Amino acid sequence: MSDRPTRELYAWSLDRATKAGFVIALSAFLIYVSGALPAYVPVAELVRYWSLPVDRFIAVTGAPQGWAWLRLLGYGDALNVAAVALLALVTPLCYARLLPVLVAERDWLQAALAAAQLAVLLTAASGLISAPG
Amino acid sequence: MNLIDVAAAPWWAWPIALFAVSFLIGIVAVLAGVGGGVLFVPIVGTLFPFHLDFVRGAGLMFALSGTLAAGPQLLRSGMASLRLVMPLALVGSIASFIGALVGLALHTQLLQTLLGILILGIAVLIWRSRAVDTEQVEADALGAFLGLEGEFHDSAAGATIDWRTHRTVLGLAAFAGIGFIGGIFGLGAGFANVPALNLLMAAPVKVAVGSSALLISVINSSAVWVYLQRGALLPLIVVPAMLGVMLGSRIGARLLGAMPAAVVRRLVIVVMLLAGARALSRGLGL
Repeated sequence: MSDRPTRELYAWSLDRATKAGFVIALSAFLIYVSGALPAYVPVAELVRYWSLPVDRFIAVTGAPQGWAWLRLLGYGDALNVAAVALLALVTPLCYARLLPVLVAERDWLQAALAAAQLAVLLTAASGLISAPG
Repeated sequence: MNLIDVAAAPWWAWPIALFAVSFLIGIVAVLAGVGGGVLFVPIVGTLFPFHLDFVRGAGLMFALSGTLAAGPQLLRSGMASLRLVMPLALVGSIASFIGALVGLALHTQLLQTLLGILILGIAVLIWRSRAVDTEQVEADALGAFLGLEGEFHDSAAGATIDWRTHRTVLGLAAFAGIGFIGGIFGLGAGFANVPALNLLMAAPVKVAVGSSALLISVINSSAVWVYLQRGALLPLIVVPAMLGVMLGSRIGARLLGAMPAAVVRRLVIVVMLLAGARALSRGLGL
């Protein structure tokens, strides 16, 4: 059985989502480095502490963890984290687009694989299981 | 040794230098036929002042952005197979997620040491490995159940090639190991994906290369979230790296026909040996 229709659908979704993600990431970065928005962790401080391990960096700078950056989108650096997160969401979005099509085609094996993959990616994104600090 | 004098350099010198290095890695990685992440992490980890936690996070986004951009074309051409990718990516992404959790819990010195050993090992692997166009194999029971087969039109050969894979259990185990290591060290692991798909599972070279890129885009997506949730993705490091590799990869693809790939490949091996030795000496405190 050819997987061409699902490949085409995945390619289309991937293409659109990736292009949108990159445009948003570039725009957010320009806003950040131009100083159009203030930075939650000022750049001078960032440069001083980016040689520290992440847990000490967080302790010193108070930089957001988990989904806390969502409440700080008025800051240039948090806005950039959001843009990077959008790129990390491209693959789950493509799987979410694929899943109902596979179910409609009664391709149960591929649908189960897509559902399991989606569950793994959403678990990772949720932060329910996170690295010890 | 850092690329720039840390104390004297203005902040904006770092993203510019990182963009330039990522751009060069993007070119060289395409010409040498290796994933860029395997160069990015040891080079940036040893030449820049960023902590390895942030370099590994950026390394995952570096590999992810390149493969996301390449994915649509690879899928449309039939070089990337979703049927092949889906079960392997599922296993790989679970392992990569666990690897990222483990990696962020390890001590920096130990990570540096292991990274040095790994990069030296990968340099030897790249030096020794040769992709082969395999004969068509009989699918094993699990491979047949999962439908790990397909066809693609090879425009260079002017023929449509039917393919199927075998040794599915070993392939799944290999991708669990590759995903775990990739998650720990922030690597895309294309260096291991292609031999696993081609030499172990007998996928044709072009399908192995194309599917490897799509695999990285899925597998890295789970590990990236661990780093993001932990606060280990710094935009000032991540975004210039992403933009640099995207631009460099495009230039590399254009130079592909004009540059002596074997020479570039040897250069990459030498750079990896140097970067691996440097990471190892840092880890051992030498």
